Amino acid sequence: MNKTLRNITLPVALILSLGACHKIEVPIKTELTPEVFPQNTDQYAQAAGPVYVALRGNYSVEHFFLQSASTDEVIFPAFGGNWYNGGQFQQLHYHNWTQDHSDVSAEWYWTSTIIGLVNQTMATLEQVEPAGAAKDKDLAEIRMVRALAYFYQMDSFGNVPIVDVAGDYSSHPTKPRAEVFNYIESEIKAALPSLSTTISQATYGKPTKFMAYALLAKMYLNAQYYTGTERWNDCIAACDNVITPGAFTLAPISTYLQMFYPTNGPSTPEFIFAIPYAPSAVNSFPFRSQNLHQRYDLPRRLVSKYAVNFTPDASISTLPSYYANFNDVNDIRNKQWLTGLQFQADGVTPVNYTTTNQSYNQNYSGANPTGSITYQVTLTPNIELRGGVANFDVGNDELAWNMGYHNIKFYPDASSSNRDMNNDIPVFRYADIILMKAEAILRGGTPTLGATPLSLVNQLRAQRSSSAAWTSVTLETLYAERCREFAWESWHRNDMIRFGKFEAAYGFKTNTDPNKRIFPIPTTAMRLNKDLVQNPGY
Amino acid sequence: MTIALLQVSAASVAQRINLDRKNAPLKSVFTELSKQTGFDFLIDAKTLERAKPVTVVLKNVSLEEALESCFKDQPFEYTIDDKSVVVKDKEKSIYERVKEYINAVIITGTVVDDKGMPLPGVTVQIKGSAKTTTTSNNGSFSISVNKGEILVFRFIGFQIKEVAIGEQTNLKVTLAEDQQQLSEVAVIGYGKQSRATLSSAVSTVSSKELNKGAITDVGQLLQGKVPGLNVTASGDPNKTAAVVLRGASTLNSSQGPFYVVDGVPGVDIAAIAPDDIASIDVLKDAAATAIYGNRAANGVIMVTTKKGKKGQLQIAYNGYVGQEKVASQLDMMDATELRAFLTKNNQALTPINDVGADTDWQKSIEKNSAISHNHNLSFNGGTDHSSYYASLNYVKKDGIIQNTGLERVIGRLAMEQSAFNDKLKFSLSVTNSNSDAQDVPNRNVVLLQSALHLPTSAITNADGSYFENLSVDGYYNPVAMLNHSQMNTKTNNLVANFNTQVKLPFGLTYNLNLSYLNSTALRGEYYDSYYTSTYNGLYSNPDPGMGYHSQQSFGTNGQATRSSLQNVNKIVETFINWDKKFGDHALNAVLGYSWQNNTIGDGFQATTSNFPVDNIGYNNFALSNPYANPSFQVNFGADGVYQETRLISDFARLNYNYKEKYLLQASVRRDGSSVFGADHQWGYFPSVGAAWRISQESFLQGATVVSDLKLRASYGVTGNSSGFNAYTAQSISGSLGTYYNNGSYIAALGPTQASNSDLQWEKTATANIGLDFGLFKGKVTGSLDVYDKKTTGMIYSYSVDPILVPTGTIVANGGSMSNKGIELTISTTPVRTTNFSWSTSVNLAHNKNKITSLSNPLFSGGDSVLYSFPEGLGQSSHSLQILKEGKPLGQFFSLIYAGKDANGVSQFLGGDGNLTTTPSIGTDYHYIGSAQPKLLLGWSNDFHYKNWDLNVFFRGVFGNKIFNATRADLFRPNTATLTNILSDAANESVADYNAYQYSSRFVESGSYLRLDNATLAYNFKVKSKYFKVLRLYTSSNNVFIITKYTGVDPEINQGGISPGVDYNNFYPKTRTFLLGANVTF
Repeated sequence: MNKTLRNITLPVALILSLGACHKIEVPIKTELTPEVFPQNTDQYAQAAGPVYVALRGNYSVEHFFLQSASTDEVIFPAFGGNWYNGGQFQQLHYHNWTQDHSDVSAEWYWTSTIIGLVNQTMATLEQVEPAGAAKDKDLAEIRMVRALAYFYQMDSFGNVPIVDVAGDYSSHPTKPRAEVFNYIESEIKAALPSLSTTISQATYGKPTKFMAYALLAKMYLNAQYYTGTERWNDCIAACDNVITPGAFTLAPISTYLQMFYPTNGPSTPEFIFAIPYAPSAVNSFPFRSQNLHQRYDLPRRLVSKYAVNFTPDASISTLPSYYANFNDVNDIRNKQWLTGLQFQADGVTPVNYTTTNQSYNQNYSGANPTGSITYQVTLTPNIELRGGVANFDVGNDELAWNMGYHNIKFYPDASSSNRDMNNDIPVFRYADIILMKAEAILRGGTPTLGATPLSLVNQLRAQRSSSAAWTSVTLETLYAERCREFAWESWHRNDMIRFGKFEAAYGFKTNTDPNKRIFPIPTTAMRLNKDLVQNPGY
Repeated sequence: MTIALLQVSAASVAQRINLDRKNAPLKSVFTELSKQTGFDFLIDAKTLERAKPVTVVLKNVSLEEALESCFKDQPFEYTIDDKSVVVKDKEKSIYERVKEYINAVIITGTVVDDKGMPLPGVTVQIKGSAKTTTTSNNGSFSISVNKGEILVFRFIGFQIKEVAIGEQTNLKVTLAEDQQQLSEVAVIGYGKQSRATLSSAVSTVSSKELNKGAITDVGQLLQGKVPGLNVTASGDPNKTAAVVLRGASTLNSSQGPFYVVDGVPGVDIAAIAPDDIASIDVLKDAAATAIYGNRAANGVIMVTTKKGKKGQLQIAYNGYVGQEKVASQLDMMDATELRAFLTKNNQALTPINDVGADTDWQKSIEKNSAISHNHNLSFNGGTDHSSYYASLNYVKKDGIIQNTGLERVIGRLAMEQSAFNDKLKFSLSVTNSNSDAQDVPNRNVVLLQSALHLPTSAITNADGSYFENLSVDGYYNPVAMLNHSQMNTKTNNLVANFNTQVKLPFGLTYNLNLSYLNSTALRGEYYDSYYTSTYNGLYSNPDPGMGYHSQQSFGTNGQATRSSLQNVNKIVETFINWDKKFGDHALNAVLGYSWQNNTIGDGFQATTSNFPVDNIGYNNFALSNPYANPSFQVNFGADGVYQETRLISDFARLNYNYKEKYLLQASVRRDGSSVFGADHQWGYFPSVGAAWRISQESFLQGATVVSDLKLRASYGVTGNSSGFNAYTAQSISGSLGTYYNNGSYIAALGPTQASNSDLQWEKTATANIGLDFGLFKGKVTGSLDVYDKKTTGMIYSYSVDPILVPTGTIVANGGSMSNKGIELTISTTPVRTTNFSWSTSVNLAHNKNKITSLSNPLFSGGDSVLYSFPEGLGQSSHSLQILKEGKPLGQFFSLIYAGKDANGVSQFLGGDGNLTTTPSIGTDYHYIGSAQPKLLLGWSNDFHYKNWDLNVFFRGVFGNKIFNATRADLFRPNTATLTNILSDAANESVADYNAYQYSSRFVESGSYLRLDNATLAYNFKVKSKYFKVLRLYTSSNNVFIITKYTGVDPEINQGGISPGVDYNNFYPKTRTFLLGANVTF
């Protein structure tokens, strides 16, 4: 018996002694777990960071294309099939985009990510940051970023769901646009008291009280379109809340262009809220998060003139109907355009390029297609679909590359080793406040602070043109002024809709469907949220 | 040492004995006597084997009387000691010894196989005695035998032969190969099992059957050999083949089977030299794999390495030298064709692009031929109680693409030592593999550029500098790219295993395995100043999948990256085996415990830029000055590379058979993994199997057609806990970039993954029915298996509304996938004469893969996901594949080509059924074929003629489609002035701006039949004191291929989630010709 026991005990004991260890947890020592982060002021700032990285995300590319290439401001044709990209830009121009359009999806995804990040970051900071003014300000700032993202979503998609807490995986159905409008308004008002009024490096790139008022002004200016209720006086009041403290001034004619240069930043006097960009900035989101304007804006044959360290990808340009607004030779804003014959920086030496007859003009029918031709780079105003009307193609030759007037407001950044730019992009400028107030009064609001639409417009024009001041202003001339002032700043779709011009025929577009004022809910979004309802007309 | 074998303790039993037995085993008599008397019977198990059956009739006798009767005819004597009866071999009397001495003769002889080759290591035993010897290296033996005794010759893989000793003193014994015995024993988890008693689906491949050629990767060794194992490989010496067993069972990245080498789980198979492999067992059904529970969902491949044999020292050298040449390349236009095409279409090249050259750009990045050579030197030997095996393997395999290659040295030592009368056995094996891999940075871009470069350009300009025309977008000189960059990875792989085995009474064996795996990768990457200034902003060309190409941004004056990362697995496994026979009942049980701790990514990565000179490469970071360039950031690689996981398991298995006729097996494994949510870390993985050896039944005895027949059925569940981040279940913050905060760009740190505390095991259940058969006395053998494999709770990174989870994805359980298939192997030897024989073996496999669900109760975002974006020019958002419920993995979903319209422009079938020349992404897409093959074929033929042998191996894949995006992107008649086009596109119209749109026009049949290998060998009959075996052979791989596929090669990667997409990422397949020698001393 004893031997038996002994003989059985040994192996069983061995198994048991080793088998006794069933401790499966592995402590995480190499990651930022909620136990170790965030815990102090510096870390709260780092924790808020993702919200701003995400906001920077699609602003310079996809958001810009959606808001601009769907108007007469920007056209992006295909070049011998290149950049046709499934008809992406053709659809934006023709207003026949589908719910699979990649920029439409990108806008939804981008704004949703910002909102989700704010929800999550607010929950974290709410929990860990000690109560006090600093906490209130930190929360109010990112709350304003969320309000801005909701504003873009409401502006682009109309009816969207509202989710403002983290971790709630329950059903989130679509809310009507008016309800979303009210929600954003209440959010801005809730955040306002805790926001800073300091305009300095410390608040640059972050929402301040003035940013909140600017967004409110933009909301109220479009309130009639969004909700059916006009809010002109609320718009004027919001503008006055920016104007009265005198924190901002209009940039003088001498530095207007520099506002958008790679050197712009916290000291730019008109920037109420701008998104800072730097080639060295890093991001991990599926967004570009870089200012890539020079990639699209700069004609290929002007690489040496602007000494950039990359080959521009493609060529976007404006339509003649938009450029027609730049009809005052004394206007500094004309200088943001590249037109006609091109000269080197000295203004005298022509920019020449040598190629073959055939490459210069793909339709060359002369005797010597391989013959060499040297021409001075000349940008021509019109867009001709020589490569095919059906496929929105201008062809793939020198003539095509130089078609259309190009905008280099976001001046090429020769200091960058690649195509990423250091130019910060403004969201709200003081000039917009001035023109919004003028427009609100012109549309029926009550004048305040002794200002009239004309005085406001002339206040701006004095810093833009040496021509004589205007003697009258109409909605039509105000619209043209906005075109001149905010070209390439992603507001043109918003303006065209408000001025009733979005359905007009321009360029090659003939579609007049007013349903196109809002974009469809993307297929990708409907796949992720089964409770979404498609917008009318899609 | 004598070990108590039979013990029945009973304190008060009668001392008088009654017993009535006829021809009973002595053992059972002892048991009965022990029961009646309370005495223990102590007898060595080996001694007992020599016992003769007992016939006794005892009535009321004493123990002594009883023992006298029982021991009358036994070669034993006994002593009674306290309460024990100790039984020993009978001491021989002097007379007997003298008689033996006189009768004894020394028999010498040799043992050879049926080809006359000497067989070393054959066991020669005198029947009924413990006396044995083994044959030496030249097959010779010498043993002292009495006349009239019988010698028994045993050798694994051969039939047992008995020779009666008469007057002869010299024997030549020929052993016949036993076809069935070759795979007699299958290696299963935590043990071995005779194939006859196996109730699960296990395919065994012996080292002889493994693929030959300049192969450094185990996947390729097995290609085509195992039904149901889908292996795809390119010509890349540094890329392991994609291995999928019985169809992909998961969407996450862990699709490959789990490798167990000599019982060590999870070994990097690159650590084992092919020449050191003795056999490979592929465990296919859940009954076989469930014992490896949590890692077995994709099948388990058990690799057994060669071990030392008792007998004298044996030295072997195996080596080859091989030459590879590119087998096939894209048929691009040459300069004449291109000029003719352009002239015809009234187009012309720019002067910069046409310097009158006729360059074959594909050839320009390739070597004319790549040389491989492999040398494996081993020595092994052993005594009765110990053995050793040591080998050194050196292989150098040049890639056919310039600047690519692999050099590897593997040292291996395996020792075994028994002690305490062989009751205790220690084994130690240590393998260290050191690889040095040369590769080309941005290789897919280089491959792409080599296809699309205009033939009219020269590689270099007149002044010797590289030609570049950067005014054409995304147009780079592939030769310059190759020669201005470097990429090198040095991997050191250590596998150490210490095993202790204790034989305990009752047929119990205790095992303790301690394993340590350490793999360190030291990587360097360098782009010189030419590269960083010329190619800044180039787009990567990633393999197809979920991702997009991304722009590469370099610093100035050279950029270098260095990383050193270590992975360590520490494993303790302990289990007890119980082998017991009760008459016709046989039992085998395993009970065990396993503990494993893994750390991966222990190390660092750094990227710097701005070097004073180019020739430093990545070897001296101190000379860089990254801070001079404000737009460059020193980069430390990805966040969260370091991960630690722990796996703990308890497992048990029971095998039972009755008369080796009815077989039953059941196993259960309880697995814990630290990667899951707190409440879901443990999972149970059970399996059951049963088999019926119908041929053992009396009604089939004497059947002339069917000689062996076994029906198997099994069901089991296995799991998966890999293929995703170790901390997936938990909320982790990480770097999400940098942002402007008060004048500087500070870190933005936020949740990089969403916590999912509900994350739990992914489970794969497999039902398998199999039939093993032998017909015509074993002349035809084969197996048929039918299976149904279902994965549920599939762990997958679901797309989530980013408003809920800002990372946009959450790793969760939800989807399910189904694989159903049938596998057949038939082997036969149609011709067998003295001088000539032909054996052939065919294996066929069919699998049907279907994604049955892609939803999670909370997250709906798994279904209808569009992916695989080749991103050819102008086709940025065009996807080729879709993840869709009810469709197979890799379903092609894109445009349907519908000929050309009146203007000669390609048109497509729109989503609304109308034809369109401006199709929309998504809206106008259709299902256009699947990448999943319908049939896999492997067909092996062995011919022997005298000393010659010839092996011819065919391999085929049928019924799959390939999306030839490579062809689409080289089918651009309208941009032929900028990039070259395929010769095939000569008749296309330049007006067809849609010619290249990804569509059904470029979906092709991927079926092929390849003569994969032909090996001819000559075996020298060596009559030398030193040489034992000398075999010279020549082998050729990829001799020819029959296919309609228009791309380089239809063997497109079948692994991952993007199977069957050809996108300029295919490293050319080669044709190999090699000469080799096997020498044994």
